[in-house]
Amino acid sequence: MLKIPNKFASPLIILLLISVSAVAGEKLNVVTTLTDFADIAKQIGGDKVEAFAIAKGYQDPHFVDPKPSYIIKLQKADLFVHGGMDLESGWVPPLLEGARNANILPGAKGHVDASKGVHLLEVPSGDPAQLRAQGDIHIYGNPHYWLDPVRGKQIAENICAALSRLQPQNEAYFKSNLEAFTKKIDAKVAEWQALMQPYNGVKIVAFHNSWPYFDERFGFDIVAFIEPKPGIPPTPKHLAAVIDQMNQIGVKVIIVEPYYSKDPCNLVASKTGAKVLELATAVDGAPEVKSYLDVFDYNLKKLIAAFQQIAEAGNNGK
Amino acid sequence: MFQQNWRQILFSLFSFVIAFIPARELQAQAPAGRSAASLNPAISVIGTFLGTAASAEAFRKNIDLGLHEAEFSFQAYVDPYAKADFFVAFGRHGSNPLAAEGEEGGLEPALEEAYLTALSLPYSLKVKAGIFRSAFGKLNLSHPHAYPFADLPAAYVNFLGDEGLSDAGVSINWLVPNPFHYFQELTFEFTSASAESRSFAKAAGNKFLYLAHLKNFFDLTENATLEIGLSGAFGPNDLDGHITKLGGLDFTYKWKPLRRNRYQSFTLMAETIFNHRHEAGGARVKSKGFYGFANYQLAKRWFLGGRYDYAEFPESGERHDRAVSGVLGFYATEFQKFEWQLGRIKPAGQDGYFQILLRGVFVIGAHGAHEY
Ligand SMILES: [Zn+2]
Repeated sequence: MLKIPNKFASPLIILLLISVSAVAGEKLNVVTTLTDFADIAKQIGGDKVEAFAIAKGYQDPHFVDPKPSYIIKLQKADLFVHGGMDLESGWVPPLLEGARNANILPGAKGHVDASKGVHLLEVPSGDPAQLRAQGDIHIYGNPHYWLDPVRGKQIAENICAALSRLQPQNEAYFKSNLEAFTKKIDAKVAEWQALMQPYNGVKIVAFHNSWPYFDERFGFDIVAFIEPKPGIPPTPKHLAAVIDQMNQIGVKVIIVEPYYSKDPCNLVASKTGAKVLELATAVDGAPEVKSYLDVFDYNLKKLIAAFQQIAEAGNNGK
Repeated sequence: MFQQNWRQILFSLFSFVIAFIPARELQAQAPAGRSAASLNPAISVIGTFLGTAASAEAFRKNIDLGLHEAEFSFQAYVDPYAKADFFVAFGRHGSNPLAAEGEEGGLEPALEEAYLTALSLPYSLKVKAGIFRSAFGKLNLSHPHAYPFADLPAAYVNFLGDEGLSDAGVSINWLVPNPFHYFQELTFEFTSASAESRSFAKAAGNKFLYLAHLKNFFDLTENATLEIGLSGAFGPNDLDGHITKLGGLDFTYKWKPLRRNRYQSFTLMAETIFNHRHEAGGARVKSKGFYGFANYQLAKRWFLGGRYDYAEFPESGERHDRAVSGVLGFYATEFQKFEWQLGRIKPAGQDGYFQILLRGVFVIGAHGAHEY
């Protein structure tokens, strides 16, 4: 029980009570590492949240600089959402430690690991001490899971649970938004899979291993990477091997993330007649990509257009 | 050596308890969920190789190559309120193996840093207690293996010490609220002044070293940032407690386009240290040191930089060291880098000479995040 002396109420306590009541009516301040999480938080939180993403959509999520200005954002956050799986381990820890915000530290109510409950791919087996010999491998598995919209539903569920924890009075509202979001995804996934149906098993080449969740969902097949190992820049020898492989099995599409140099891809394309497609890995990864669903609309549209063009060129050639 | 460290630890723990008690009362919060595996602290080992060749006759050896330092770090959250960091290094002293003396033996162990950080204090405070690198200037807070050059600038060596300034005590750090919402951080430290440094020394009685640092950080554009820091230190320089005052001004401009931050960047940094020293018999010394450094990223893994050094001495503003160096950096991965440095060194009162430094740094284990 809190006892406040009637006449000599501590100014500090009054101040505290005023600020607490003010916060209750305000929007929840959500800070996320990636733009996709911010967009999902907005869709679930609706007008009850304000969301800010630290990494820009066209930025490499592995290598964001922990600028002190982000500490100011985190200091005022009610909820912090990150991808987990040590994707952001190079830049999130100094920001969290600098933020002096106990509400968003690991284990606190306002700390969300978006990967919770997500079925992960490429979880490495074998001796962890040998892992880095394979390049920039993530010990918990491939961290690019938000590129599968079905797994996106789990991310939304995690965010919904956290928002409900912080504002139990709005739980019903968050849950109904979650339901609407889930329904929208289910409908869109059916539509996208139907569009991709004719291209099931088409072989393509990618720059970095960002796409295992994306290709698993939409049925094409990544046969090689421009990077010899994740995070290791391409060598002429490796590129020559990729060119050989592409020419042998007739691969005509190379996909690349917005933040990597296009030079090695263009070089390989010039020797194989392939098309280089820059795909979005997150919301704002391209100017047209404004929402989580746009990521898939944009990427699949680009891929399908390229597949169609190649098919037509093939027919004309005959 | 170790005895000295234990005294420092006890002093720090005592100070920490004082600083820490209110935090426990103010914060009530669910403890962090932990699995058995995460109970182990994050461990990493950083190895530094250093090769040196110099054209000066004066050195005992003028070509040297070897393991310069092996640093072990252990870092973990203690509980929901605090984090602990330990750095133990086996190394040679000083950044230049040729200049140091009496190190024919193996690598000496030293507790470089050992501190607890309270993370959940009210009023935007953060408190650190233990042995730590002092918040003076820009470079001093980070470990030398993280620097983009192979040796410490002469101003640091002359005024702060061969490896920079670190000491045992308490550091209180406040995120200053301001109407413009830019990052402004005020650090206040009081430490025992017992660690090795050129400007300060342990005095008889309770004479501490007091230090303050104000860090201002601005986003100029999405791709460019500016940091301006002000530092001041005040502490005894001899057994009788004569005082040295150090002032510092640091400036760091970085350009790093977000979309291409792995391929292109440019950094310009400069620091000045001002010294005002009182000596026995009423003598006063005023002196200063400066360095300026520019670093341009040539390609994803290649950096080219240049540094100018000018440094007077704590005891004299009449004499000065000067140096000009060029450094080529190759950052193979986040876990391994090399620096080749060619310098023209002109020590005070001696002939100038050329020096080549070759440094390799590698890390295994949980790799720590980099400060910006
Ligand atoms: Zn990756």
